[in-house]
Amino acid sequence: MLFDPALAWAILPRMLYGMLNTVTITALVLVLGLAVSLPITLARMSPRPMFNLPAAAFVMFFRGTPALILLYLVYYGLAQLPSVHDGPLWLIFANAYACAVIGLTLNHASYLVEILRGGLDAVPAGLTEASAALGISPRQTFTWIRFPLAMRYALKAYQNEVLMFTKGTAIVGVITVVDLTAAANEVFERTYDPVTPMLGAAVLYWVLVNLMRIRFEALDRSLNRHLIADERRLRKPVVGASQGALARWTSLPAGPTEHAGTEQAR
Amino acid sequence: MSGGAPNPAIAIAGLDKWYGGFQALKQINLEVHRGEKIVVCGPSGSGKSTLIRCINRLEPHDGGRIVVNGIDVNNATSNIQDVRREVGMVFQSFNLFPHLTILENCMLAPRLSLGMKKREASRVAQRYLDRVHIGEQALKFPAQLSGGQQQRVAIARALCMEPRIMLFDEPTSSLDPEMIKEVLEVMEELASDGMTMICVTHEMGFARRVASRCVFMDQGQIVEIADAATFFEAPRSDRLRGFLSQILR
Repeated sequence: MLFDPALAWAILPRMLYGMLNTVTITALVLVLGLAVSLPITLARMSPRPMFNLPAAAFVMFFRGTPALILLYLVYYGLAQLPSVHDGPLWLIFANAYACAVIGLTLNHASYLVEILRGGLDAVPAGLTEASAALGISPRQTFTWIRFPLAMRYALKAYQNEVLMFTKGTAIVGVITVVDLTAAANEVFERTYDPVTPMLGAAVLYWVLVNLMRIRFEALDRSLNRHLIADERRLRKPVVGASQGALARWTSLPAGPTEHAGTEQAR
Repeated sequence: MSGGAPNPAIAIAGLDKWYGGFQALKQINLEVHRGEKIVVCGPSGSGKSTLIRCINRLEPHDGGRIVVNGIDVNNATSNIQDVRREVGMVFQSFNLFPHLTILENCMLAPRLSLGMKKREASRVAQRYLDRVHIGEQALKFPAQLSGGQQQRVAIARALCMEPRIMLFDEPTSSLDPEMIKEVLEVMEELASDGMTMICVTHEMGFARRVASRCVFMDQGQIVEIADAATFFEAPRSDRLRGFLSQILR
């Protein structure tokens, strides 16, 4: 059975409806994930056990639980608890869409904590010291030096995680939310044509993921101006190999982007 | 220069520092007077860097006392902030903030710690960048500059807080020879303006020209303190003689 353009056109509205849910769930999880993971990251990095132990437990639990099973547990499992079923929280947990967002956020945030922690750990200690030596308080050092740099170091890993969970939102179908994959599946079950709806869904996912990639690349460019400016300079003649090597060694690495400083012609 | 002055810029008495079971500093006593330039040298691992890092409390000490311009360097957060405002520091690896321009690197501390307005901070930053002869690079990022230029920016960045004392932790050790000169020239200009300085360095020419006193450290102790001429021409201890013969080849 081959791709059927007429069917594809006919099912487009339903597919776009599903895609709308995919997009809104993704956006909500993205925002909530950042909001949840930042305080947990700080707790995770705290030297005090009363903060870092619960944070480590959060990561261990939600990173270890399969997202699919987590969704089942949040939507069907919690409903079994009388305190949830008869309490005010039922307004949230009776709603499949809300449960999907909550389950995916917990899963996404647990990965994000480790990505952020890696980024913060990668900030050279010398920069924190230089900031301290200038009389800048630890809190301001975090706001102005450590966090902005950690964001840059973590951006590529964050992008991977975001693109993976975007496609991973397909599992919300199991708790009755009609997302792009569920919409394609409905069509398949009605028409017995597996190719047209699935290929159509794949194309729409591809478009979504690539729009996000373009946003990420723009963000990367604006955050890493200090490296891009440097790359542009590489096209100018390098004054001396040893100076280039020295500058490469002495300029701080700021991520995987290749860069090298060269002696400034004065 | 020795003794006499009522208020030393830095007074260190009986200073001890431990890293676990290893004693990095053993009973250090040192007084630095206003306007004095102290050069500290000694073999790797002798405690030179640790000593100056204790002065602005990048390393907490374990015993003894450090008083900087009348401020006791201890655990009190307010004292630490006060001391760091009095004392500027320059590192071997420059440690410029890579995501900020040269000008922003210099503006950050005055804005955050002194609450300076953007316009004023920018004016101060530009003045000190001009003073280290790098004002025309103000809008570039650190990675676009050579090592020597980055180190001069680091000096300007520290000067923007208008410290009364400057600490230099091997400021030329990661530089190519031709860049060492430009950094040392800036340091000498600073010295002739009357800045109180402690420099950990192996630049012996610089020490001869600039140092009021030279300090030789070995195994966590101050072995010898003397004025530059005596230090180089008539070292008293065998350890200093051995060290000088190594580096003055």
